[in-house]
Formats: sequence, structure tokens, C-alpha cells
Amino acid sequence: MLEINQLEYTIGNFSFGPFSIRLEQGDYLAVFGPSGSGKSLFLEMMAGIRTPHKGSIHISGTEITYLPSRKRPVSLLFQDYALFPHMNVKENISFPLKIRKETKEKTERKVYELCQYLSIEHLLSREIEGLSGGEKQRVALARAIAPNPKLLLLDEPLSALDTALREEAMELLKLIKTSGITIIHVTHNQEEVKDIANKIITFPQNIKT
Amino acid sequence: MSIFESMQITKNLSASRLILLFASGVALFFLIAPLTGVFLSLKAPNLFETANDIQVRNSIFRTLAISCLATALSSLFAIPLAYLLARKKFPLKGLLEAIIDIPVVIPHSAAGIALLGFISRDSMVGSLASKAGFTLVGSPVAIGMAMAFVSLPFLINSAKEGFAAVPLRLEHAAATLGASEFTVFTKITLPVASRSVVSGLVLMFARGMSEFGAIVIVAYHPMTTPVMIFDRFNSFGLDYARPVAAIFIAITIVLFIFLRSYQKKR
Repeated sequence: MLEINQLEYTIGNFSFGPFSIRLEQGDYLAVFGPSGSGKSLFLEMMAGIRTPHKGSIHISGTEITYLPSRKRPVSLLFQDYALFPHMNVKENISFPLKIRKETKEKTERKVYELCQYLSIEHLLSREIEGLSGGEKQRVALARAIAPNPKLLLLDEPLSALDTALREEAMELLKLIKTSGITIIHVTHNQEEVKDIANKIITFPQNIKT
Repeated sequence: MSIFESMQITKNLSASRLILLFASGVALFFLIAPLTGVFLSLKAPNLFETANDIQVRNSIFRTLAISCLATALSSLFAIPLAYLLARKKFPLKGLLEAIIDIPVVIPHSAAGIALLGFISRDSMVGSLASKAGFTLVGSPVAIGMAMAFVSLPFLINSAKEGFAAVPLRLEHAAATLGASEFTVFTKITLPVASRSVVSGLVLMFARGMSEFGAIVIVAYHPMTTPVMIFDRFNSFGLDYARPVAAIFIAITIVLFIFLRSYQKKR
């Protein structure tokens, strides 16, 4: 499903790669590494925020290496969720559907289904500002999977949550995994994904030269 | 700490507080007294007569309408420029930012002279307009250009600060969700920065309608209210200029009350 070949990126005296990996549909890849190992950079290249200097990325046989973010079947759950502060929960989740010019009925139905799936129906009319960390994460996840991405990128999704909420969030990630989306989960904490990831890689510190 | 030391500290505090209060009082008095004086020295019959004067009414309408139009038209170009300055790095960016601030620091009569050279019949723009049957100098277009020239930096700088404060990750998030650059700007960046952009628009409008120095050079007629205040003072004296000034100051104050309450609401 996902094929990364000899991916490289250099900025100043920092260099990433060459890095290659192959994932099948439904795989859950955990990426470990200390700060400065290039984990976030890797996600940004996958999401199209940065363009790699060498190598290629293919999803389902189609090359996406140089495609802009908006044309990739990839969603990214940001570390701090990056929810739009001027929109309420419903508007945030329906944003990617409106962009795709889905009909109002279809958008409403999809948003409601996602909210039921993630148990956040009661939050639909709430403003982002008043949500707890766990609620924000669920809303951001709903928004990320709304456009049916083939690949879901998770950037330290548990780091902003306290211990009590982490257990709940882990259950949530297990639920998302059952949907069959290929997931790449970046973290510096091996404990948090040992029960869920079926593939694990570690970016070494010496990637920084 | 001895009683003597405590008394000394209290004495010093009182002295510094007194100096602070006195300095603040002088500054506030200097700002408030002339404005209050305009209204206190008004004579009711003169005020009503002026308020009913068709020339005054027309000049106020003209001033507000041209400033509003100049602000709206300028914003189509100034807001993208502000976004460019907030988000992109390019050579000579610092120089460009300094150039944008020039109209604020130069004498506005000098700005008027510069603009006159740009739109007079001898210039390329002026001769093109002349061939098309328009005379720019002395027209509402020239007034609008003068207003925009001196007030555009307020909009550009305010919008630029607003755009710079919008977290980049919000734009990235929107892009990964399928939004084009234009959609990211219109649906995310602009609404999130709207407070600064609207403040910039209101400041530009207010600064434009108050302009005198540049306008009087490029278009004495048709008269805007600031030019009319000067004209009445010059031709008939303070008593004739004061009611027009009072009405215009009142309009400006109402505008700023609106701006402040809008800023507090958001």
C-alpha cells in the first residue's frame, strides 16, 4: 500500500535518510526516536508539507512524492491537534467534506456517523476553546479521518494528555486501527504503542550529522 | 527594619506616586482640553446652522464615502501584500517594509506634492487619464488616492501582524485536509486574523477621512471636511470653522468607540 524508497532530506547540518520502508493496508507503524532525529520532518514529508530532496513515496502504486498536501490521500493528526479556533466542533469535522464539495445531506450524515463512532455527538455544537484535551483529540481524529484517507499520520498523539486520558486515547487508537486505515504513529515513548503497533522502527540519534 | 526606614520608604513612594499622577494628568489634560474646548465654546444656533448647511453635509458625505471606497479598493491589494510580508521570506523584504512606512513619516504636504507629480497631466498616469477623458487632479479620484497613500501603511501593518500571529500549523492542517492555498487563506488565515485586519481597515478609513495635507495639494475642490475646516478658518475665522470641526470630531469619536468595542468583543 505504502512504499517509501531511499527518502532523503537535508537542511543545514542535519540530514535525514536515506530511509525506505513498505507497509500494507491496515499496518500500524510505530516510529521512535529522540528529539532531533527527524520524526516530525518525516511526517511532514509524508503529508506534503515538505518536499524530500531525494527518493520517492508511492501510495497504492501512485507516486505522491511531489504532490501538494491537498492532493494526497493522507491525513495528519497534529501534536496539538491544530483545530480551527474560529469554527465549532461540527464545522471543524465537516471542513474536509465541504472542501470536497460534498452535498449538505452527505456531510451531515458523515459528520454524525464519525461523531457516533468516536462518541462525541454531544460536542457537535461546542466551541473548540472549551474542550478538554481528550475531547480535542477525538474531534481532531474525526476531522482527520472524515475524508477517508488511505494513510493516517499521528504526531505524538498522546503527549498532550495526562495519564488518565492516555488509556482512553489508546482505546481510541485501537478503534481507529480496526477501520483498516494504514497508520504511522510517531512517538518518543515506546511503551505507549507496544500493544498496538505491528511494525516498529527507530530513527537513530546519529541521523543528525 | 526601623520605623525611620519604613517612614522613608512611604515618603519615597508617595513622592514617586505624586510625580506619576502629575505627569499623567498633564499628558491627559493636553489631549482632552482642546477637544473639550471645541465643544464647550460652541454656540447652539451656529451648530444647528452648520449641521443644516448643505455644503457641510455634502463635504462630510464626500469625505466618508471616498475614504470608505479608497479603503475598500486598497484592501484588495494591501491584504495580499500584508500576507506576503507576514509569511514569505524574500530579498530586500526589510527595505520593502521600510518603504511601506514612508507615508507615515514624511510631511503629508510632501506626500501630496509627490502624488501630484504622479497624477498631473505631465505624468504618464495623468496623461493616460487625460487621453481617456479624465482629469485626475482636483477630482474625487485624486482625493481617494491621497487618502490611500497616507493611510495604507496602517492597514498593511495591522493585517501583517494579524497574519503573522496565525499559527502555521493551522494552515498546514487545512492543506492536509484538502484545502487549496486560496481556500486556506480565505477560510482559515483571514478569519483567524480578522480582528487585526478589521482594526487595520477601520484605522485606514479613519486616517484617510482625517487627511488634510496631501488632499489640499491634489484637490482643494471638491472639498473634504478637513479642507473645509481650513478654508472656513482661513476665510471667515475661528467661529465659522469651529462648528464644522466639532461635528467632524464627534463623527471620529463615534468611529473610535465602535473600533474599541469591536476589539473588546472579539
